[in-house]
Amino acid sequence: MNPVLDRDALDFGAAARRAFASLGGIAAARRAEVDPTSRQTVVELLGSLGIDDLDPVGNADSAAAAAVLCEEAGRVALPCPVGGLALCATGDDGSRGLPVAVVDPDRSRVDHAHLFPVWHVLGPDGLDTTARPVGPALGTRLGPFVGDLRATDHDGDHPGTGRVGHSTALRGWWLALSAWTILGALDRAVELAIAHTRDRIQFGKALTDFQTVRFALADAAVAVAGLRELAGYALWRLDVDADHAWPDVLALRSHALDTARTVLRSTQQLHGASGLCDEVDISILVRHLQPLLRLPSGAEATAVELAGAIERHGFDGLFAHGRLP
Amino acid sequence: MDFELGEEADTLRARLRAMIDAHVPAGFLGAFTDDPADLEVTQRFCALLASEGLLTVAWPTDHGGAGGNVWDQTVVREEMWAHHEPRGPQYMGLNWVGPAIMAFGSDEQKRRYLPPIAEGGAIWCQGFSEPGAGSDLAALATRAHPDGDGWRLRGQKIWTSYAAMAQWCVLAARVGPGERHEGITMFLVPMDAAGITVVPIASMLGPHHLNEVFLDDVAVGPEAVLGEVGGGWSVIRRALAHERVGIARYARCERLLSLLSRRGQEASPTVPDHLAAAWARALTQVRVARLLAYRAVLTQEAGDPPDATASMARIAVTRCDQLVAELLFQVLGDASLEAGGGAPLAGAIEDHWRYAQAATVASGTLEVQQTIVARELLGRPR
Repeated sequence: MNPVLDRDALDFGAAARRAFASLGGIAAARRAEVDPTSRQTVVELLGSLGIDDLDPVGNADSAAAAAVLCEEAGRVALPCPVGGLALCATGDDGSRGLPVAVVDPDRSRVDHAHLFPVWHVLGPDGLDTTARPVGPALGTRLGPFVGDLRATDHDGDHPGTGRVGHSTALRGWWLALSAWTILGALDRAVELAIAHTRDRIQFGKALTDFQTVRFALADAAVAVAGLRELAGYALWRLDVDADHAWPDVLALRSHALDTARTVLRSTQQLHGASGLCDEVDISILVRHLQPLLRLPSGAEATAVELAGAIERHGFDGLFAHGRLP
Repeated sequence: MDFELGEEADTLRARLRAMIDAHVPAGFLGAFTDDPADLEVTQRFCALLASEGLLTVAWPTDHGGAGGNVWDQTVVREEMWAHHEPRGPQYMGLNWVGPAIMAFGSDEQKRRYLPPIAEGGAIWCQGFSEPGAGSDLAALATRAHPDGDGWRLRGQKIWTSYAAMAQWCVLAARVGPGERHEGITMFLVPMDAAGITVVPIASMLGPHHLNEVFLDDVAVGPEAVLGEVGGGWSVIRRALAHERVGIARYARCERLLSLLSRRGQEASPTVPDHLAAAWARALTQVRVARLLAYRAVLTQEAGDPPDATASMARIAVTRCDQLVAELLFQVLGDASLEAGGGAPLAGAIEDHWRYAQAATVASGTLEVQQTIVARELLGRPR
């Protein structure tokens, strides 16, 4: 029993944190809203960190590195689809593949759609194709970079696309890495709430002197700690038994969405009115995380999908679950 | 990363399940019922476990234990709780009374008290809580007055589980004029001593769980003191450290969810479609609770002192217990109000719901755990 990430992965995460801090941390997200082209700087920075060398699907060390990279990106609402970039399959000739997105086939809507000209999109029922952005980005407060993709007939010979049996595993990895990004954002949200409530004086004392505030912080921290354990568990399951890890990945995704709902709400609430202001980091974090919480599907649809997956495939644990073989 | 407990743990788990299948009657819901036969089941089962070296699996070999590691303890804890604790009231003696006597007891106390605990032959109760000292245990007011070379105990304990069936009580009382932690002293008191009166408290948990214990000039000798006079708080801290991981409530939750999952078992209620998502979420919560509990076990294995990790696990585990209890009741609908052998799953779900209501109170309230977590969060550097 060892639920701890390897030292190399943790070191990589620390390097990523320093690199993102060099962009100003969450300031990069603010800049991107004003100037979406500034996201290219982020893509280049990720390249310098070695994201192109990652192969999470094929290598456990790489998977751990991709996970912590996504977590660090989540902490600063990095304006870039880091999980999808980390899953770019590399071709036999070493050429880099396409960024990966998991979509709802009824509407291939993804975050940062216009950042790349061609995507490798995956969905249920074996959907596995390439797609290009169409139309403008939403440009809304909750989806500033969200745009639609339109499928193309395999748009050139891109490594990784259309490989038989590959898409389900890749879809699982995308969902797992998205949960690691959510984890990072929630972990940071708790830190921000602690900092604010410790500094904010009301009724002559710090907000953290009020028991109800302390309990709210404790509950949020417990929720994030639980999500962290589940994120590690899913990563391990993908590593040791990817063919049967689909319920584990969905459980992680479902739990990440449920946890995000409660933790973001409570940590923003603890900021009072300031939590709604974009000059305060929690507001950016909450706004910019919304696409990841809604796309390709939200909490309720994911929980329903999880129930079906458990019934079909079972659920690892102390006792058997789901349909008998 | 590796989330497997290992082959030895798997083997131990399978062995325990085989023993439970063979020796615990179907429909067993624990020792604390109106049927004395249930207590007899636990006594026989404890004797069986002891004969196979499994009752004291976690005790050091010096004291007749198997010298098992924390993961062996974890497996035992999970399997026993999942199957309605067929050790009955023994877990307290095994988990912390015995280890506390090993750590603080005299040679005579070890000789006298440890073998009966190891054989499953002695029932202990814990005299900590008082009407004015619940979460704030250091406010306890029961006093021990010097009397010759011994002591006389005066005061009242409350919420004392198994008091009516116990032969012994490990009891905290105050010696001298000190306040708070000062002067607290631990006594090993025979429950048949003159001056002890046990009054059961009717409760939703059923018989034997909640009692008042009145101590009216109970005379005990000097040999009854466990550890140093005035050193009781150290014993209590050790007791609480042993309890830090708490009951493996998640294991029973998972077993009941498994029994009710949509497996088409005859005569077994199944999860309706409209609760399928809630069922999946509950299974996920159970997994989260188990993983957080394992994280607390890891801190124990590393020899680290109890910290917020254990409290986080307890918060998650106890809330999970209540969430699952509620979901199971939703599945049963009006049959959730039925109890006993004729109820769904022989009353296991009705029993679980009642016990789950106590989960966030027993052995340290939810609010105490939240306070510990918050204290650590706010102690972190900015």
